[in-house]
Amino acid sequence: MSSTEQGTSSAAPAEPTTAPESAAAPEVPESFYYVHGKDKVVHKVSAGALQHSALIHGMISNLGYTEEQAKANPFPFENIDGDILQMVVDWCNQHKGKPTPPEDTNLPKQKEKLFDLVLAVNYLEIKELLTYCCKQVAMMVKGKSPEEIREIWMIPTDAEDEAAEKEAKKRAGKEAAGETAAAAGDAK
Amino acid sequence: MTPIDFVVPFIGILVFIFWRRIQRRRAERIASNIENQTETLENESIVPIYETNWCDMPAEIKLECIGRMEIRERLSLRCAAKSERSLVDSQKVQISRGTFYRVKLKQGMYSSSTVVSLHFNKQDTFTKHFVSDYEAFELMKHILKIGIFEDLEISFSNSFTNYKESINDVGEISATNIEISGCNKETVFAILRKLKNGVESIMMTFGAYFYEDSLDEILAIPHVQNARYWHLKNLKHSWIPGFEACEVAQVAQMWIDKNSKIGSTFQASLIDVLCQTYRLFNEFVKYFDDRIVFASEKRIRIRTNNPDRHILLERGLDDVMEIYDDLQFYRMMVISAEMKESEYDDDCKTWILKMEPQYYNDDSENSFEQYDYNSSDGSSDFADDWL
Repeated sequence: MSSTEQGTSSAAPAEPTTAPESAAAPEVPESFYYVHGKDKVVHKVSAGALQHSALIHGMISNLGYTEEQAKANPFPFENIDGDILQMVVDWCNQHKGKPTPPEDTNLPKQKEKLFDLVLAVNYLEIKELLTYCCKQVAMMVKGKSPEEIREIWMIPTDAEDEAAEKEAKKRAGKEAAGETAAAAGDAK
Repeated sequence: MTPIDFVVPFIGILVFIFWRRIQRRRAERIASNIENQTETLENESIVPIYETNWCDMPAEIKLECIGRMEIRERLSLRCAAKSERSLVDSQKVQISRGTFYRVKLKQGMYSSSTVVSLHFNKQDTFTKHFVSDYEAFELMKHILKIGIFEDLEISFSNSFTNYKESINDVGEISATNIEISGCNKETVFAILRKLKNGVESIMMTFGAYFYEDSLDEILAIPHVQNARYWHLKNLKHSWIPGFEACEVAQVAQMWIDKNSKIGSTFQASLIDVLCQTYRLFNEFVKYFDDRIVFASEKRIRIRTNNPDRHILLERGLDDVMEIYDDLQFYRMMVISAEMKESEYDDDCKTWILKMEPQYYNDDSENSFEQYDYNSSDGSSDFADDWL
């Protein structure tokens, strides 16, 4: 269950819920946390769903926030695009408390989006989703020739690489010369 | 004033009005286009712009992805750019069976091609035929470098002699079971020395380029000493008495010296061109005269230096394998000293088939037929320029 911040959430301490599953035991309300990406849109996510992310799980374990504190301090992921974070949150919610299937067909087919998702998932340390994403990336070049792979993944040719390296060296040389000249000017 | 003086300005005015109208319509059309384009741009700016690509991925992610690629995609990627090559080469690939062998081309009696055949699982195979030895060898080197083989079979004639130095360029070869045949002595030793620890079985065939006189050197290789199973095919009775018996005895002596584990097994096939049926057994008995526990025409049991362990040499004899056959099979094992005669295994067919899978099958022509190596799935078209 994911929703952008609407201000409707059940307050609960951040400690993991460990209530025994007996009929007599009172139901412990689920804890919720808040995350936002580059677009500042806040997503409300349950602690259970966030367990997929080793990074966030580690952060939560050290915090012990109350609902109010969690709301007031959403985890900021400024390096992740809003829609990518939404995808990650959706995936975590879908797979909350469930064993992960061997295949996941709902991953984006658009290559750049997939690469952004890979980077985000790697950063958030979501191992299972990273596995799916890497499989999907590998599938993109199934049966492709070197030229096709170069085109699909925009890999520069050796000649282009060499030219770029030369250009970078030239630029670095010029900058170094400029700095030396400026230093000499200052000394005068 | 003539009528012409009146008509010419009138026509001029009409042309001017018409031209203005055209200009106005053009301006309207341009304005409308600009409006549409602005709208499109506005719409497009809502869609996020993604610029991330393969080159932006950190090396560890690239490795994760490469680890999930099949061999032909890996070969294609390593050809895409130099920068990708070292990454692809650093990622190991599990291969259930890898075979490098030569086949004669049907068209020409003297021409042959080298086949590289890799089996990953039931669905995925990679088979490629090479006419160029150089290309075949380069691919073989690469595959040997990145492959973790369950079964590895290297079977080619002398054609790679020129490249024997290059075998040394290959790092450690990782294989659980290895079979080498048809190679020259240098190549055999180069491969054996490159093997990584953990080899369980080594299968070798003596032939035109590899002789029995290499046995001392073979036995000095730690992988051979530690392998749980190894076999030598095509020993030949030589004119020198006791020569072939010495080979089997040498293996037994190595086990005695190394105090090898119970279960260590050595098998050999012998071509008895001299029709001296009992020669190997007789020579073996002579060699270990002071260690004999039991000897018959089928079995010899000897003591080792370890009182818990004996060595049992058996000849494969049953309804098919007869005592006077030219082709003889022998098995030698380190056994527990406690083992009783009633516990001996009389089913020699099972262990003979391990050496010669087609031996009990009359339809067989060659051992390669057991694998459908030529069932290329079209993969030969891939990575043609993998070098």
